[in-house]
Amino acid sequence: MADVDRKDRAEVEVPLGMVHSALLEPFRIRLFVDDEVVVDAEITYDTAHRGIERMMEGMPVQKGLILTERICGICSHIHIWNGTRMVERGLGIEVPQRAHHIRVIGNEMERLHSHLLYLGHAFEILGHETFSMRCFMFREPVQNMLFFLSGNRVHYTIPVIGGIRPRCDIDKDKKQTLLAMLKSLDEELKAFGNRVINDTLIVSRIKDIGYLSKEDAIKYGALGPNMRASGVNFDWRIKVPEYKDNFDFEVIVREGGTVLDRVACRLFECLESIKIIKQALETLPDEEPINVGYELGRMGYSTSYNEAARGEIYDSCSLDDLGRIQSYINRTPSMSSLSAMEVSCIGDHLTDATITIVSCDPCLTCTNRVTVVDENKDKEYILEPEDIRRLARRKI
Amino acid sequence: MLKEISRKNAIHIMLVYTGGCNGCDIEIVNAVLSPFYDIEQYKVILTWNPREADILAVTGPVTKKMEPALKEIYAAIPEPKLVAAIGSCAINGGPYANLGGDLGSSDQIVGGVSKVIPVDANIPGCPPRPEDVLQAVVSVVPLLAKKR
Ligand code: SF4
Repeated sequence: MADVDRKDRAEVEVPLGMVHSALLEPFRIRLFVDDEVVVDAEITYDTAHRGIERMMEGMPVQKGLILTERICGICSHIHIWNGTRMVERGLGIEVPQRAHHIRVIGNEMERLHSHLLYLGHAFEILGHETFSMRCFMFREPVQNMLFFLSGNRVHYTIPVIGGIRPRCDIDKDKKQTLLAMLKSLDEELKAFGNRVINDTLIVSRIKDIGYLSKEDAIKYGALGPNMRASGVNFDWRIKVPEYKDNFDFEVIVREGGTVLDRVACRLFECLESIKIIKQALETLPDEEPINVGYELGRMGYSTSYNEAARGEIYDSCSLDDLGRIQSYINRTPSMSSLSAMEVSCIGDHLTDATITIVSCDPCLTCTNRVTVVDENKDKEYILEPEDIRRLARRKI
Repeated sequence: MLKEISRKNAIHIMLVYTGGCNGCDIEIVNAVLSPFYDIEQYKVILTWNPREADILAVTGPVTKKMEPALKEIYAAIPEPKLVAAIGSCAINGGPYANLGGDLGSSDQIVGGVSKVIPVDANIPGCPPRPEDVLQAVVSVVPLLAKKR
């Protein structure tokens, strides 16, 4: 009867969501508050369950992999890349190095736009509209680069089994333009990063709140930048051969574990991403970007891990004789980062809770994919769009 | 007259995300409302309060879980109101419409937005380009001004 205990301890329960200005995605977080201090938090997220894995059952694998991209509109590339990579590993398909490079470019651009979106959103919740708009302004050139590279702003569909789609190939002109775009982005982002880290207003607002210790990060399974901001040094990019063998970059680790560290960690990761894209563009091998000489057939259970913008992503499935998907499993980082997010809210002021939640970068559309919806149990839904941003502003 | 002018000068959009992939969502909030495309220059403002909204923008296929919530939000918006379904998911369910395949409909998804509430404008695309959204909104605003 955990619920009763919580209510005993807490004076008031503050529900945020399902539709709420701080959350964007429909999920509900119930904060149990005692004299304005959060004593417990509870997240309900099952509103966006769509059953993608079920839909992929029995689909031809090429078709199914395109569907994986529709799991999430922020980190779409990594889903299809990881799925393709898994099939290639399982069937032993050779992939040209040029294709690997372009896939890495796609992933790093995605990390850039995801992190910039996160920063913009975080500053908006803090009430710092100027910084937030600056971040969204930085994000547009990245989206333009992706559009230029692949022809879509959100679902790029770059990888295909055996390589990449020819339309996403990078020729000489494309390369020059991309390098020029990157250069200006790099300079502007560095200046902006300096400005943020040295801004007393922002720093005083986000330091020392939303603390997540190293032990808790490991215990509750925080992943990606959330984990690295708490001092755990791990990144799949140092293990995945596509990254490890070709590129030279740093893994950003910070010891603090507060909101400030999570924000700073992502800022610095953006700069590392630019570094990787530059290297990839400059060392792009000259060859055919796709290997079409493969045969699909029965594949036993195969797995693949990779580093998405929000942390570790895992895919696995097997194929039947005709190359149709069987029991596709996809585990996304937000899944386990959410419990860490609950923990880091506890002990803070109520007004800090929203920024803590946002600083953990929840992305619910992928997480919901694997939740079982029990309609009979939880019928309640709350529509209280109080303007938390106004609250946050008052605090500043 | 006065009503028309004042209404035209402050159009509020409320965005409800009903279970899509986030793609459309982010395009609306962070591209169309960002300084780059800047829909606010047409005096269209984002709000999260249904009581002050004029246009309800819905993205994503409607999941069973969100269906009552969506209806409630729709009811809470004062007349006159418009509903825009943004993205192929919201128009007809997109890739999720065929969840059960030949076996029938899905347990989780109701389908397009028009199955739940009346829709006035459809903006196709996966996701629609920000330019398209801008154009759609600009062409829909006069409709709203004329409505009583
Ligand atoms: S239309 Fe496309 S981008 Fe929009 S929610 Fe659906 S799958 Fe995502």
